[in-house]
This record gives sequence, C-alpha cells and structure tokens, in this order.
Amino acid sequence: MKDRVRGRWMAVAAAGVAIAAAAVMVVGTAGAGTKASCGSVTLNEQAWAGSTANTYVAKAALEKYLGCKVNITQIAEIPVYQALANGKTDAVLEDWQHVDQYKQYIDKQKTVVFGGPNGVVGHIGWFIPAYLMKEHPEFKTWKGLKGKETLFKSPESGSQGMFLGGDPSYVQKDQQLIKALGLNFKFVSVGAEPAQVARWSQLYKQHKPVIFYWYTPQYLNQEFQLAEVQLPPRFKGCVDDAKAGGDVKKYRCAYDKTIIEKVFSKKFASSGNPAFAAMKRFSWSNADQETVAKWIAGDHMKPDKAGQKWVSQNAAKVKKWFGK
Amino acid sequence: MASSNGNGRTPLIRAEGIWKIFGRNANKVIGTPDVDLSRAELREKTGCVAAVRDVSFDVYPGEVFVVMGLSGSGKSTLVRTLIRLIEPTAGRVEIDGRDVTAASRDQLLQMRRHTSSMVFQHFGLLAHRTVLDNVAFGLEVQGVAKSERHARAQEVLRLVGLEDAAGQFPDELSGGMQQRVGLARAFAVDPKVMLDAEPFSALDPLIRRDMQDEVIRLQHETGKTMVFITHDLPEALRLGDQIAIMRDGRVVQLGTPEELVGSPADDYVANFVRDIPRSHVLTLRWIMRDAKPGEEDGPKLDVATTVKRAVPLISDSERPVCAVDGGKIVGVVDKQAVLAAIAGEGD
Amino acid sequence: MAVAEAAQRIPHPLPAPWWRGKSGAAVLVVVAMLIAFLGWRNQGHWPAALTWNSVGPHLDRFQTWLSDNRNVPDPNLAFRAFNGLANFLDHLVAWSTRFFHWLTWAGTVVLGTLLVLRFGGRRAALGVLAAFASFAALGLWEESVETFSLMLAAVSLSLLVGVPLGVLAGRSSRFNRAVTPVLDAMQIIPAFAYLMPVVILFSVGPGAAVVTTMIYAVPPAIRITALGIRGVHPNTVEAATALGSTRWQVLTKVQLPLARRMLLLSVNQTILFALSMVVIAGLIGGQGLGDSVTNGLYTDPAMAIFAGAAIVIMAISLDRATEAMANRTDPAHRHLTADRSRQLRTYTAACAAAVGLTVVLGHVLNAGADWSRWTAQDWLRQYVQRGLDYVQNPSTFLFRDLTNPTGNFIVQHGIQPLRSFFIETPWPVTLIGLVLIAFLLSGLRPALIALVMLFVVGFVGEWTNAMDTFSQVLVATVLTVIVGFVLGVWAAENRYVSRALRPINDVLQTLPQLVYIIPFIYLMPVSGVPGIVASVLYAAPVMIRLVQRGIEGVSPETVEAATAYGATRLQVLLKVKIPLARDAIMLGVNQAIIMVLAVVVIGGLVGSGALGYEVAQGLQRNAFGLGVVASIAILALGITLDRVTQGRVRARTQA
Repeated sequence: MKDRVRGRWMAVAAAGVAIAAAAVMVVGTAGAGTKASCGSVTLNEQAWAGSTANTYVAKAALEKYLGCKVNITQIAEIPVYQALANGKTDAVLEDWQHVDQYKQYIDKQKTVVFGGPNGVVGHIGWFIPAYLMKEHPEFKTWKGLKGKETLFKSPESGSQGMFLGGDPSYVQKDQQLIKALGLNFKFVSVGAEPAQVARWSQLYKQHKPVIFYWYTPQYLNQEFQLAEVQLPPRFKGCVDDAKAGGDVKKYRCAYDKTIIEKVFSKKFASSGNPAFAAMKRFSWSNADQETVAKWIAGDHMKPDKAGQKWVSQNAAKVKKWFGK
Repeated sequence: MASSNGNGRTPLIRAEGIWKIFGRNANKVIGTPDVDLSRAELREKTGCVAAVRDVSFDVYPGEVFVVMGLSGSGKSTLVRTLIRLIEPTAGRVEIDGRDVTAASRDQLLQMRRHTSSMVFQHFGLLAHRTVLDNVAFGLEVQGVAKSERHARAQEVLRLVGLEDAAGQFPDELSGGMQQRVGLARAFAVDPKVMLDAEPFSALDPLIRRDMQDEVIRLQHETGKTMVFITHDLPEALRLGDQIAIMRDGRVVQLGTPEELVGSPADDYVANFVRDIPRSHVLTLRWIMRDAKPGEEDGPKLDVATTVKRAVPLISDSERPVCAVDGGKIVGVVDKQAVLAAIAGEGD
Repeated sequence: MAVAEAAQRIPHPLPAPWWRGKSGAAVLVVVAMLIAFLGWRNQGHWPAALTWNSVGPHLDRFQTWLSDNRNVPDPNLAFRAFNGLANFLDHLVAWSTRFFHWLTWAGTVVLGTLLVLRFGGRRAALGVLAAFASFAALGLWEESVETFSLMLAAVSLSLLVGVPLGVLAGRSSRFNRAVTPVLDAMQIIPAFAYLMPVVILFSVGPGAAVVTTMIYAVPPAIRITALGIRGVHPNTVEAATALGSTRWQVLTKVQLPLARRMLLLSVNQTILFALSMVVIAGLIGGQGLGDSVTNGLYTDPAMAIFAGAAIVIMAISLDRATEAMANRTDPAHRHLTADRSRQLRTYTAACAAAVGLTVVLGHVLNAGADWSRWTAQDWLRQYVQRGLDYVQNPSTFLFRDLTNPTGNFIVQHGIQPLRSFFIETPWPVTLIGLVLIAFLLSGLRPALIALVMLFVVGFVGEWTNAMDTFSQVLVATVLTVIVGFVLGVWAAENRYVSRALRPINDVLQTLPQLVYIIPFIYLMPVSGVPGIVASVLYAAPVMIRLVQRGIEGVSPETVEAATAYGATRLQVLLKVKIPLARDAIMLGVNQAIIMVLAVVVIGGLVGSGALGYEVAQGLQRNAFGLGVVASIAILALGITLDRVTQGRVRARTQA
C-alpha cells in the first residue's frame, strides 16, 4: 500500500518536473551558430591576468577576421609543452623564456616552433611601494638598502629584514643575489603569486615598508604605486635563473629584460591555417596588455567582452596581424 | 566401545586420526614428539595451536552422532574438517565410501552438494533472499531449475511448518523460525549426512527444546544420519545415539549416553554427568543381571527402557522384572539394582 | 588482626607514577634532545657522505628520455598504447559531455532528479535539484557539466579497477597486506609529483586528468570494497560453501549482494576523492570548475569562490544521493518480492518516459545545452566581493587586533622555535630521539621502520627541508588534535552540535583548499600560518568524526553501569567514554597526521616552504627530479608518523 502511494507520488513528481522544465524552456531558449572558415584553433591561457588578456584578444581577433572557432585550454606552463608537441594546443601567446623547454621541444624534438616575440617586454626586479621610496630616496639603488635591512623586519625574518620572494614557478635568483650583494635580508617565500600579492598589498595598505620580487607588465601596477630598486648592472655571463646553480657571484646583476615569446605547435605551424600567419604577426605593447588585464582582473569584465572591446578599439593594430 | 547400533554394517562416515593444528608450521609439528605437548606448551614452543588431536570415530547410517565439548574443545573445528571447510592437517575422512580428504576440488564440491549438508549456529541465512530462496539455495548452486527447486523448497518448508513464511525475509522471523529455515535448507538437498554445528546454541531454552523435538521428529521421519555438535550435555543425551566428549582437542570418551553416565572414563566426564539423573539415562540393559533359574516368568520389559520408566512396574512387582530384547529374555532387574542406580545419582 | 596481616602479605598492585612509565621516558628523550639543541646548535648537518645527490638528476634524465622517445613521429608500441588509452579517455569524457549537451539542460536536470528520486528517495532528489539550480545560479553550468563528465569517467574507471581488486583484497589477506602500502603511497604522494610523467605519457586533456584522478580515487574504492566483502558474516559464506557453492557462486550469490551497500558507499567515497582532484586536474587540461578555481585565484578570487562552492555543492549532493541510494537499494533490508519489483519496474519506466519527453521537448523548444539565460553571479559577487574587501582591508578590527597579531604570535612562538629546534639540533640527536620515541610509544618494529624512513629522508638530501616541514606538520597536528578532540567529544554528547558540524565538515573536506585559504592569506599574512590553517581545516573533520564515532560507539551498557554507580555525566565522559574510545581517538590522531601531510603541497603554495615548495616547483619549474625527491621525503615522513602513532593500536587489533 505504502508502495503504491509512493509510486503515485513519483509519477506526479515526474510529470511535474517535466512540465516545469518545458515551461522554463519556453521562456529561456537560446540560439547558437558559428561560422567557421579557418576551422578551429586552440590557444592556451595561463593563470595570470596578462595571459588571459592576450589569449582573449587573439580569440576575438581570430573570430572577427577569420571566422575561426577558437578553443581555449588552461594548462600549466610546463605541461603545456607536451600539449603543443601532441598538437592538442596550437599556440601559447605568452611564454616567459622557458629555456629548458626550448632546448627539449624546439631544438631537439622539433615538435614545437618559435612564433617570435609578442611585443610585450617583461621585466623582473626588486620593488618597493612608492611612498617608501619618497621617504627613503636612497633606496633608488641596492646600495641604499645596506644597513637599513632591519626596516623590513617581519615575524618570520627574526633579526633580519624580510625579502618577499616571488611565485615558486617564476624565474628567480633572489636568494643568490642577496648573498652576492651581502645584504642582511632573509628570503621569505609566501608561495604562489596570489599569496605574495596578498602579503605585500596588506603591508602596502598599512603604509609599512616592504621589498619584494615583482615584474612588469602587471595590471596591479596600475592599482598600486610601486618603485623599483636598481640592482647592479648586467655583465657578460650573468645568469638569472637560480636553477643553474653554482657560485652566487654569477648572479650578481639585475634581471635581464625578458622577451616574451610566442610558441606554436609544429602541427599547427605546418597546417597552412591562415590563423598561424596571423598569430605569428600578433604583437602588442606592455600598455595594451596591462589595459586589457585591468579590465578583466580589476574590473571583472568577461574576458570575451574585454577581448572584443580591445579588438574593436584598436582595429588598425589588429588589421596588421591579418596582413590588411 | 563398539556400538550396538552399527554392528555388522559399514559406517557412513569414518574419521581416522584427524588432526588440525593452526599456525605457520602446522605441518612440521605432526610426527614429532611435540604433538604430545599440552596445548599451552605447544603454543609456547611452536606458536601453533592444536585444535583437534588425533580424533577417530565411525558413524553408521541412521545414527545421530553427537560431539560434545565446552567452547575451545575443538568440536566446531572437527565438524568443519569433515567436509573440509577447514582443511585437516592430518588424518583421513571417508563419507559414503569416498575419501573426502583425497577428493579433488570438483569431487569435494559434488560431495558438498549432494551428500552432506550443514546447519549453523548463527543460521548463516542470506539476508537478501526470501525464505523460499534461502531454502532453495543448495539446489540453486547445483543448477536445479527454478520451478523445480521452488517446489522442493516449498515441500521442505511444509515439513518444518513454515509454509506460510515462504515470501518473508530472514530478518522478519524469530530466531527459532530462522533456524527452522536453516534446517529446511539442509533437508532440501536430501543429503545422506547432516552436519549440525551447534544449531541451537543461540536459541532460548524453551525454543531449543522445541527444536530438539523437531530434529528428533525429522530424523525419525527421514532417517538421516547426523553429526551433531553441542556444548549442552542434556541436548547431547537427548539426541545422541553415540556421543563423543571432547576436551582440548581430544576425544576423552566415546560411547552411548548410558556408557557416559554409567561409567565415565575420567573425572572430567564424571564431573560433567554428575548432575544428570542416572535413572533418566540408564536402561535396564545397564543394571540387569543374569537371570537365575526360575526368574524368567516375571513381568517383562524391553531392555532399552530407562530406569525411570521401569520404576513403577519394578516397585509394584514382587519378583524381578525380565529384560527382553527381541522377545528373548536377556537378564533380570530387581529392586536393589534400581535403588542402587537411583542412589548413585548426584555422586 | 589476621585480616590485616593477610592484607600485608598481598603485594600492592599500585600503578607506577607516570614519570616512571613510558611517557616519562619519552619526556626524558625530549629533554635530552633539547639539551643537545642548546649545546650543539647548528653543529650537525646531515653529512654529504650519507647523501645520494644524483636521485634528482637521474629522474630528470629519465623524464627527458621519456619525452624524447614519445615525441617522435613514429613512437614505439608502448607509447602508442598510451596514446590510444589517452584518446579513449578523452573521448569518454567528451562523449559524456556531449551526451549531456544532447539531453539539453532541461533533460539533464530531469534525468538527474528522477534517477535519484527513483533509487534514492525524495530528500536526495530535492538535493540534486537544488544542486542543479545552484550551478545555474552561479553561472557555472557548463563548467559543472564538464567537471561532472570528467568525474563520471574517473569514478567509473576507478571502480572498474578498484572493485575487482577490492574483492580480491577482501577474500585474500595476503593480497590485502601486499596492496595496502601501495595504496598508502598513492594517497600520500602529492599529485604534483607525478603530474609531469602522466602528461608525457597521456599528453594533456581530460584523459590525463582522468588518469591523475584515478591514482587518487582508486585506493578508497579498493579499501571499501574489501571492507564490504570482509563484512559479510563468515557464517553465511560458510553456509554457502557447505552447500557446495563454487568460489564464484559464493562471490556472486552471497558476498557481492550482501556487500552491496558497502560497494555503493565505496562509489560515494570514490566520488568525493575524485572531486578533490578537480583543481589539480585543471592544471593539465581537465577543464571545468578546476580551471575556474586556478584562474580565479590569480585574476578573480570571487570566481574561485564560486567555483569552489559549485564543487562543494556537487560533492555534497552526490554524497547524499549515493548514500540514499546505497541504503534504499540494499538487498538485505529492502525485501524485494516479485510483486514489488514489478511495480518498481513500472515506476522506472514512467521516469524514463518523463526524461524522454523532456529531451524531445527540449529539442523541439531549442532549449540549448547550456543554461545561460539568467544567473545570479553578479548579484552574488557584490556580497562575496564585499567580504573579500573586508578581509583585504588591514585597518579593520578583525585584522588589526585579532588575526594579524594571532598569526604573528603563532609564527614567533610556535613555528619558528620549533623549526629551529628540528633544523638546528644535530641530526644524529634528532634521528635517535625520534626513533626512541617511536620505540617507546609503539614498539620495536615501528621504531625500526621510523629509523629506515628517516634515514631515507636524509639520504635523498632532504633532511633540513623535511625537518622544516616536520615542525609545521607537528604544529598543525597538535592544533588539529585539540580542535578535533574538543569538537568530536562535544558532538558526541550533543546532537545539535553534531548536526551543525556535519555540513561544515562536508564543506571543509570537499572545498578545494586553495579556495578556503583565500581569506587566511589576507587575514594572517605571515608565512607558514595559512598553510597550517589549511591543514587544520582539512584534517580536523576526520578527527572530529573519528572521535565522535569512538565515543558514541561505547556500549550503552557500560555507560549505564557507570551511571548506576552514581557517576556524573562528566565522570562518565572522563572515566568511561574517553578511555574506552582511546583506539578510535588514536586512529583519529593518526589519520589527522596523514591528512595534514596530504596538504603539505598546498602549504608550499601559500608560504610554508620546505618540501611542499619543492614539490610545487617540481611541476612549475620543470624540476621533476626535485619534486619526486621531495615527495619521497613526504612519503617517508608520513610512514614514520603513521607508525609512531598507530603502532600499538594496530598491534593490538591484529592480535
């Protein structure tokens, strides 16, 4: 008996859900349709805002001018090389000099090809808040830091000053630099970039002293006023990536300018897809990227919208990519 | 200790020198002097536990053979070695003329399916099946068609008085009823031998008595041969034609109920049977003496009558009562013999 | 007089005071270590002679070799097999996604809801319906479908592998013993460490994500299946055997049907474990909610929180649904007669018809695969953003007077001193001290295992980092045990607390750690603390549950007896319940340690440094060898701590 009641209840519920669904559908139908003349292209977007910016701008441009269907994958920096090698991803538009990967995949295996610089020039350095620079103009160069390290004391640095290290996944040599420069800093890593930003931005908001690994272009540079500490000039044989190991002396120089590369899957490059030529010509400036990144990360504009907005506002630049 | 039941017939079950030693090097213990160590000593020395030690017995067709012992005596292990639910470490088991210990996997399977069946202390029913499907399970694993096995199961359920419970599930039944299902399952495959591993230990005393009656009735109706394990002496005496008393893995005495009560082999057995009213167990055969000339015309009683039931007649009779076996007078019992038997109680 | 004399002759069985017992000895060991620390600080670093530095480079070379041989135009058969497998898995996920697209969003909702309604009942079905509504409201419909498809593939394959192995482990103790350490390793070694080889073999994409997820989700499937098979009453199995069932008949007719509830619970656990890998799967092309979390962390924390919420909602609704289905369809309690099954078949058909109708309607009305008409994302964002702004504001009372000073205090007076103690004490002292403590607490065998494991840590060149991680794990474990114990006892004694804790525990166990760590990065911005908070939040639920279960499991008769002698509720708790629940509590401590270790890598991403940092680097800076070496050290630490805390309990239960 109980069973039968339950059964009836179920039948009513089933019908009810079906009817309700149908009703909602009448209200909420959506149409879709895409034209595809260049076929589909797969771009890889990395986690940081700059990468999101150039990926979505490229997407908007490819859709608008070639009618491509653009897929976006989100694969971490190192694994993405395997994706390029297999042709699962066609292009990475922002690669910060992964020299090991270049050797392995581009020179040796020839499964990945260079696509030339993307126009953005990256720069890594030691940064402090602008207000601190105003109070301590001697911090313009690293020599001014000498003897004043304890200003940057923190709970975890003990009697030393704290140097806030960068995201472990980024190229860096700060531990070696501190040693080579003879500074009384304790290198403190607070982990991935979001955590590092949290740390220094909290101190920034409290107007406290902080010195940290940072880079341009970065959309946060528009939100926070930062100033750079000059490091010793570069010399021949000076190295930037501590992974190389060896004597700290060979790290005793400022970080080099980082030419941001585009890399493509060999398969994509040899496919004759017009999108390849266009992406090879893709190039824009630091300011362009920061603008779009700010729209996305700062103003929470949908990446697709931000890409389309920039593409329509900068038609002249974009047309050049397509040889027009 | 020859059994009067079995004389001149071949045993249905024959167990010879069964050993079961648990532990890593069990095989290495057999054949060494270590086997004569006490359990504790053996454990200390080798880390092995001897559950069953050198047990031999014969069970004749139609007989109820009871193995009685306290917990830890090895009786449960012993019954399991008979169909190799537990592999015996040494010894030989023969059932229905076939060597169980040497049987291949397949032969063993066939034997379990067709020759033996078993009833368990905690019933071992399948909670996800109806009573009918539980009873039919043995036939199902044999590959009997559904309609046929259901018909047979229904028939057996009628035998145990559960025909109305066929569609119910085990957890809807009382303990006693569940064990009836267990019995029915065992009968359903029409086995030659039924092994009962303390089937009534988990039941209330009153229900246990009912179930014992049930077993006696079923055994009478079907004439099954049974090996019945119990820790309960009254149960053993009620059911058993032959009783083996086990202690620390050994059989300390094997005999008829009368033999156990009448002449315990050692203090251990004597202690056990002390509280059993002898007059309930001993028969005239046990207390009779040879008839003197002239005594053959007294009142006659079957030689298998218990003392208790003979008392009214003997006390009323002026003359000794004649014990008759198959129409032949085999001895006489007088008042003194009866009094001596009764007086011996409670020693 | 005579009585008194007799009494004198009986030796007094007074227990020795605690300082004469094992705990006293352990304290002595610690004191000795402290003296060594103060006297020979920084004077005994792990010697280079006892270090094998080339593990990492060897592994790096192996990875390069793997990659070179795989990425040739015509790879050998083995690699082609991996390709085939990867393609198959990719397609499996794609088919499933496409299937949901074909159903249209409406068909998906109706299918999910009615399926759960039919087999799990009303409550669970409402939960599923609410989950669908949440995905729509969060504006994460498509991502949720992708993640669900990925999980569906990963879970079914995990079960396909795990259930047979679990059956085997359930029936053979030897196999069970052999497979257990492998399963432990699979669950302790951080996924970051093997992500790269997986990517090389299976490339990126859903297929690789499925493989990674399976490595983590197969162990619970095996364990719980084995538990289920073992849980079938031996009497029942014996009865079936005695009636002449073959092993196969015993399995299919007895063990599997009776273990079915546990089997479905293993589905349930496998789902939860699979969902906890979603974020990591996102790093290698797993798509869906994992991507939203990672990207959100960098560019839009509110989005990361939404995606995290979607993962939690998916996990909890699936958990409740599978649990309801497991209980309701349990053949041992369902009492399914022929009549009833006929009826139920009719309802199934009715439900199927309703789903079919919806799909047809969906296509006729062009409903679309993705619900994107309306979402509450922007509306929700205001509130989430307001919350984020609040925690990011350093001038609030919360930050200025509460969390920031607390964080600093923990670092200055907890983590830092402990870290220097472990790092700066000469290594032989630390090694011997830890082994001695293991011996005192757990016995000889565990102590030997601890010795070997600690030596391995030093041998692969990770002594300092491991001691650093160890000190943080210790702080996190102590906090977890305190929090878990107090809340567990409270929940056992008070059902309102118990009821309130359940959803919180569920959320903490399924929410990606990177999401709930967001506020703490801002509130306690000092390296080490967010990592410890993450570990405590992740590990405490398990401790709470085990303590609660242990205390609730104390036999009511014992409690009754104590009460009958006039014990107060507090006395009952302190003198009866807690001592009797000791094993469960110790198991909780042990599990807490394992869970704390499981989030060491997350700690590395939020500033805990040491081993976690190295494992993270292993993937992110292409230092495969380094990552694996650090993972080995984590595993060795895990085994050490496991043995130290579990040895005696396990020894007792095995006897």
